[in-house]
Amino acid sequence: MVSTDQKTDVKEKEADCPVVVAVTSHAVFESGAEDPDGLYVGGIAFPLLQALQKVNERLLKENPAESLLFDVILITTESQQQQESSRITESIRHHGLKVSRFCFSNEEDFMENLLNNNVHLFLTTNRNEALQGSQKGVLSVLLDEHTASCPTEQLRVLFCGDAVVQSEAGPALASKQAAQSFSAQIGKMRGRFGPFDSPISIALVTSRGGRESCGDALRTLRSLGVNADEAYCLAGVPRGPIKRLLRPHFLLSECFSSN
Amino acid sequence: REKMSEIKPKDKGSSEESAAEQDWAAAKAAFENLKSNKPRPVSPKPKNAVTIAVSSRTLFNMKAERKIFEEEGLEKYVAFQQEHENEPLKPGPAFPFVKALMNVNTRLRELYPDNEELFDIVLMTNNHAQVGVRLINSINHYDLTIERFCMTGGKSPIGYLKAYLTNLYLSKSADKVIEAIDEGIAAATMFTPDTELELSGTQLRVAFDGDAVLFSDESEIIVKQHGLDSFFEHEKQFENKPLAQGPLKCFLEALGKLQRKFYAKNERLNCPIRTFLVTARSAASSGARVLKTLRSWGLEIDEALFLAGAPKGPLLQKIRPHIFFDDQMFHIEGATELGTISAHVPYGIGQKYHKGKLIEQPEKKE
Repeated sequence: MVSTDQKTDVKEKEADCPVVVAVTSHAVFESGAEDPDGLYVGGIAFPLLQALQKVNERLLKENPAESLLFDVILITTESQQQQESSRITESIRHHGLKVSRFCFSNEEDFMENLLNNNVHLFLTTNRNEALQGSQKGVLSVLLDEHTASCPTEQLRVLFCGDAVVQSEAGPALASKQAAQSFSAQIGKMRGRFGPFDSPISIALVTSRGGRESCGDALRTLRSLGVNADEAYCLAGVPRGPIKRLLRPHFLLSECFSSN
Repeated sequence: REKMSEIKPKDKGSSEESAAEQDWAAAKAAFENLKSNKPRPVSPKPKNAVTIAVSSRTLFNMKAERKIFEEEGLEKYVAFQQEHENEPLKPGPAFPFVKALMNVNTRLRELYPDNEELFDIVLMTNNHAQVGVRLINSINHYDLTIERFCMTGGKSPIGYLKAYLTNLYLSKSADKVIEAIDEGIAAATMFTPDTELELSGTQLRVAFDGDAVLFSDESEIIVKQHGLDSFFEHEKQFENKPLAQGPLKCFLEALGKLQRKFYAKNERLNCPIRTFLVTARSAASSGARVLKTLRSWGLEIDEALFLAGAPKGPLLQKIRPHIFFDDQMFHIEGATELGTISAHVPYGIGQKYHKGKLIEQPEKKE
């Protein structure tokens, strides 16, 4: 397992409260694709990373000494990419993304990597990786093609207030605690901005229950320090069209699970 | 106006349909498993229901809160709402209408226990979700059957109206209503009268203007551009040609569908829905075309009142509808002054003649 510290243009983020987001190279780059300069082409997680960056920029604008920022690490298990590490770093730089660390590991070790790096949120396009992450108690989100068409100017987080609309990683095995502490961090970040023109937007959806279940979910979020901007109580209305309108970068449901 | 020709848009592809079926089945299962002293009926599938979306300011009286928003800004407004979260809001202009819809549902459930052809009332608001807690508490306080809502935090409700297959949208915001109508959704801007009339608790009463509400504005254009004489001639000549449909035709159709469910159970005399046409047309000359148009659409209206240009206010005061739809602000003002809860349909040529003008000459169509 090799870990490379990359000090690019990124400010050194203080160790105490950044929100560490680990993303796999499969998610960031389109596999097998190359641009004319031989660099990797942006993949599914691209808009999401841009949105995370936007949040950081705005946070620093509000307070240049802000330490509650997203700290993005890139994980790759592909040995070819590891051998061509400069291609990864060049591609990252070329696309204007800010990654503070690159972690190269093999498939067996990458979970350890997540835990050692104190990862708060793990993003992947690989279902197995997401399941493994959840089982180890790391909040893991499976990204899909919908993420690719999300906005880059605003990070949109969707909380699913009843367990029906789960994040596609499968049953909510991630410890409730990991989900709740991540949510609290998101809530805090959101609180740095006013109601208008925020680079983060938080929405809540309940699919099954009536208004009481949505009301309860709103209160649960509040107790975590998360003030949702939008709330939708579907009570059985098909969620496809609603999700298409909301365009969340990712979904979180573990805060409300009963385990 | 193809969208207006259907009460509910057709279903999309079959995979989306089956996902939707699953969503709905899960919701039904959840409801039925709820251990509650007061079992709440399951919300109907949107495609089966007559969906009425109401904004927060039409459902509740938020005048004081609105003032805070306008004078002190959004943050103060949200803070105020949160501070007063446990104080129920007072009823707004759509409140009696909503209660009347609930009563119809109760009667329908008695006659057709498992049927989904019911009214479904959805709260559709631009408010932030934090204000939503007070709205939910207020809905609880009055025990209204509103189980679905969208609190869009400032975003346009239009996409959500479509997602909920909305049959009628009521708001205090003319901009949103215009946007909805442009998208083929029946919509109207509500006005609150200063005085309250006592309204029926057992029968939903809905009054409609004719031209540019149930029907297109084609005839009104003739009046405005060519005068009354041309209008009479034209209507006589085309008496047997149905008028094109207007923005609220499909809503009348939806009401008719529910009415027939009562008729089928021999409840015609006791039907809890009654519809009224209140038109400035005259029965003698231009009225025939209207009735024939309705007949050609297979629609019934319970009472057709031809005013031949007389003011609508006094008649509406007698009818006591829970809501009255008209496209002309002149009639809306007249109705509101005498206590009728009115809803402006911003459609057609009538709008060009009311912008910025203070006093209108009464439109005499006879």
